[in-house]
Amino acid sequence: MSSEKLQQIINKQQNQISPGAENIDNVVQLVGFIVGDEEFSVPILSIQEIIKPIEWTRVPRTPKYILGVFNLRGTVIPLIDLRLKFGLASVKMTESSRFVVMKNATETAGFVIDRLTEAIRLKKHEIGPAPETAKQDDSMIEGVGKQNDKILTILKVDKLLERDF
Amino acid sequence: MDEFQEILQDFLIESFELIEQLDQDLVELENTPEDLDLLNRIFRVAHTVKGASSFLNFDVLTHLTHHMEDVLNKARHGELLLDADVMDVVLESIDLMKTLLTSIRDTSSDEGIEVSECVARLDVISKGEELPAVKAVVEEATLVVDEVEEEISEPEEEVDYANMTDEDVEAEIERLLAERQAADRAKREAKIAAGEDVPAMPDTAPPAQEVKVEQEPKPVAAAAVVVPAAQPAAAKARPEPAAKAAAPASATAVEQTIRVDVKRLDHLMNLIGELVLGKNRLIKINDDVEERYEGEEFLEELNQVVSIVSLVTTDLQIAVMKTRMLPIGKVFNKFPRMIRDLSRELGKKIELELGGEETELDKSIVEEIGDPLVHIIRNSCDHGVESIEKRLAAGKPETGIIGLKAYNEGNHIVIQITDDGAGMDPDRLKMIAIEKGVISEKEADVMSEKEAFGLIFRPGFSTAAQVTNVSGRGVGMDVVKTNIEKLNGIIDIDSELGRGTIMKLKIPLTLAIIQALLVGVQEEYYAIPLASVLETVRISKEEIYTVENRSVMRLRDDVLSLVHIADIFEVEYVFDSSEHAYVVVLGLAETKIGLIVDSLVGQEEIVIKSMGEYLKGMDGIAGATIRGDGGVTLIVDVAAIMQMSKTIKSAIRGDAAGKSGASHKKTQPSDYKVMIIDDSKTDRKIMSLALKPLGITLIEATDGIEALNILKSGEHQFDALLIDIEMPRMDGYTLAGEIKKYNKYKNLPLIAVTSRSGKSDRMRGVESGMVEYITKPYSPDYLQNVVKRNIKFSFSEESAS
Repeated sequence: MSSEKLQQIINKQQNQISPGAENIDNVVQLVGFIVGDEEFSVPILSIQEIIKPIEWTRVPRTPKYILGVFNLRGTVIPLIDLRLKFGLASVKMTESSRFVVMKNATETAGFVIDRLTEAIRLKKHEIGPAPETAKQDDSMIEGVGKQNDKILTILKVDKLLERDF
Repeated sequence: MDEFQEILQDFLIESFELIEQLDQDLVELENTPEDLDLLNRIFRVAHTVKGASSFLNFDVLTHLTHHMEDVLNKARHGELLLDADVMDVVLESIDLMKTLLTSIRDTSSDEGIEVSECVARLDVISKGEELPAVKAVVEEATLVVDEVEEEISEPEEEVDYANMTDEDVEAEIERLLAERQAADRAKREAKIAAGEDVPAMPDTAPPAQEVKVEQEPKPVAAAAVVVPAAQPAAAKARPEPAAKAAAPASATAVEQTIRVDVKRLDHLMNLIGELVLGKNRLIKINDDVEERYEGEEFLEELNQVVSIVSLVTTDLQIAVMKTRMLPIGKVFNKFPRMIRDLSRELGKKIELELGGEETELDKSIVEEIGDPLVHIIRNSCDHGVESIEKRLAAGKPETGIIGLKAYNEGNHIVIQITDDGAGMDPDRLKMIAIEKGVISEKEADVMSEKEAFGLIFRPGFSTAAQVTNVSGRGVGMDVVKTNIEKLNGIIDIDSELGRGTIMKLKIPLTLAIIQALLVGVQEEYYAIPLASVLETVRISKEEIYTVENRSVMRLRDDVLSLVHIADIFEVEYVFDSSEHAYVVVLGLAETKIGLIVDSLVGQEEIVIKSMGEYLKGMDGIAGATIRGDGGVTLIVDVAAIMQMSKTIKSAIRGDAAGKSGASHKKTQPSDYKVMIIDDSKTDRKIMSLALKPLGITLIEATDGIEALNILKSGEHQFDALLIDIEMPRMDGYTLAGEIKKYNKYKNLPLIAVTSRSGKSDRMRGVESGMVEYITKPYSPDYLQNVVKRNIKFSFSEESAS
């Protein structure tokens, strides 16, 4: 194959990729999950990993929603029950319960969710601001995504990882 | 430029090391002024620093060290006696040298620090004049400074000495000499004018000037060092210093050491920490495997590997720990100087006796221990050792002795500070404490002697009648306590009125990997740093007394206040522990407390891990560690617990047990719950039919795993378990063993129902924790009776049916 031909192919490939690449900037990838009766989501990039429930150790003198700490391959990480954090009643963990390990620049923590739904791609224009009532600074809601017939609450990871006691 | 930086770094490190040694040497020198070795060593330090700094163009530093060198050189040749007054100036110049070096380290420049006054004084000494004269006539001194300064600036200007011919040098020397003499004369005249009594002057001055003829070529030599090419000339003019400069350099080159960045050592330590955790895990797995495959041949091999790995890990850990160790002498070195200055300041005579300087401690601890020691020793000087008159009146020798000694004791290092001073009066301490509002009168009444001594560590407490330069603000000893607590150390004070005080600081050898005592309360485990554990005692509940809403117990001659770990960590009380409890006696700094726990698990080596920003600084928790089974165990913050115990009212646990008992009161037969575990459906059927007449609630499980899951889920509170032995996945023995691992199921009756009837089977059943052994076939009545007996069934069958 001549180098010219090769160049052509490469150019063609790049042309194929570039329109997509523009789109990627406008697309937000989210991971959806259920807590209680509602579906929530967080940006996929803020998730370190998702694991099945493992044993944890209670940490005394903390708010109820902090279940304790667990060992993630040698690192001690706090575990937070999102049900309790959102003011819902606590339930026993089931087969579909998961620990979602989220991180930001400074902090890593595990969050207990009832079950995972799916990975979601949303275009930026499909995401609306948080409802007026939840617009205060201490709101945990980043925005609301509209997808087909569903409404999806996008959570603020920084807020979730912020110590508030 | 990089090369220059590198040289600069080396220079700074070397200089600081030299100076550290210098302080001690100088104080020693004052006591033995004839020690030539010592003098030579000190001279070499000044000389080395001078040489290097002139090479690096630090003019101010060169200037200062040069004049220090002058004085020391004279002392070295026996032309000058280093008495206390001369020493004051020399020490002052060393302080200045330190300041300069620090400034060089921080700003890469030695400018902006005034040395001329000190240099002037050094000069006066080197000329053999009486120093107090300079002090007395301040105006004259400034005059002298001006003159001297003029003269000093010369070597810096005239760097072209090296290019001079011998005659020129000769001439130059002549000129300098004349100038110096003129300056001297002027000074003397000034002194006379000031009415100073100088009868000795005419006698001492001429020899001093003669000496100067020998001394004078020195600036030439110093300047020559700047230009390496002039080395031969310098050597000719004054061969000694040049040779001396080379000597220490070659001496350090022979040393078998390398400098390593502390960060690398820290990283190594972290890795070792991970390895220790891995080792713990391996040992745990090995134990489990051993249990399961008893008697198998490969076990022995596995055992060997595990023990080698754990042995090597331990050795490796010790080796890495040792690389971080520094001799405590590094800290002790600054005290001779401090004592000397303090004793002059306070007008007392105090001698310091050092011991065990070679005892080694982790670097991080060495850094932390300096401050507390400074405060303790200042305190000993100020409050401990009495004034000369008082000492003589008490029939003691004039000179007070402060001892500073370090030695190893197990996993600890003990630093002992003793003085033969006035000692402490516990009653007086209590009185002052009440006056200052530190304690109430009631508290004072129940205080033991040792607790009274501990008062000196309270913030705001001071026995000094007035605030002096040295002490009296009531801050220092509080600092001691905080710092020692931070290191998980223990302070022990003993004092005898009129005889002196002994203070012992007991500090763990290292901080990152520690030995811990694991304790259990209900289903939770906590790790207590072993450094803070003084002892453990097993007591019965009757031995706990209540005094003013606080639990206390008698421990030998002391009354120990108690706090229950469950109260501190809000542990839910699900079941009552046995009649006995364990008390872990915790000691930190100067306080003691008893922590009641349900069980003692054992001693383990743990690695402290942080719990991240999110859970940082939780009350009573110092961190977490990962155990052999992969679980996380929290590490108790002993200092915090002691604080918390003051506010927590400790209830005696008997009441709580009664409460929980009441909530489980059975009102009807169906309140009783029994689980039937059998893989055969028929057998389960037979058992439920036999038990049905009782009216109790029955739950069924098909094997050990399922049963364990039901139990763990906590949905049901079982009163007894009927267990078949032969089952798939998990058999009855294993299940019983697993269940008995939980504290809360310790009293849960496990009844084996099996067709295995051999004696050895029964034995194994008992071993794994079964209370009854029913062999198939059995009569329904027999089964009923066994179950009824074990669940303490309190309803008659009539009422049930």
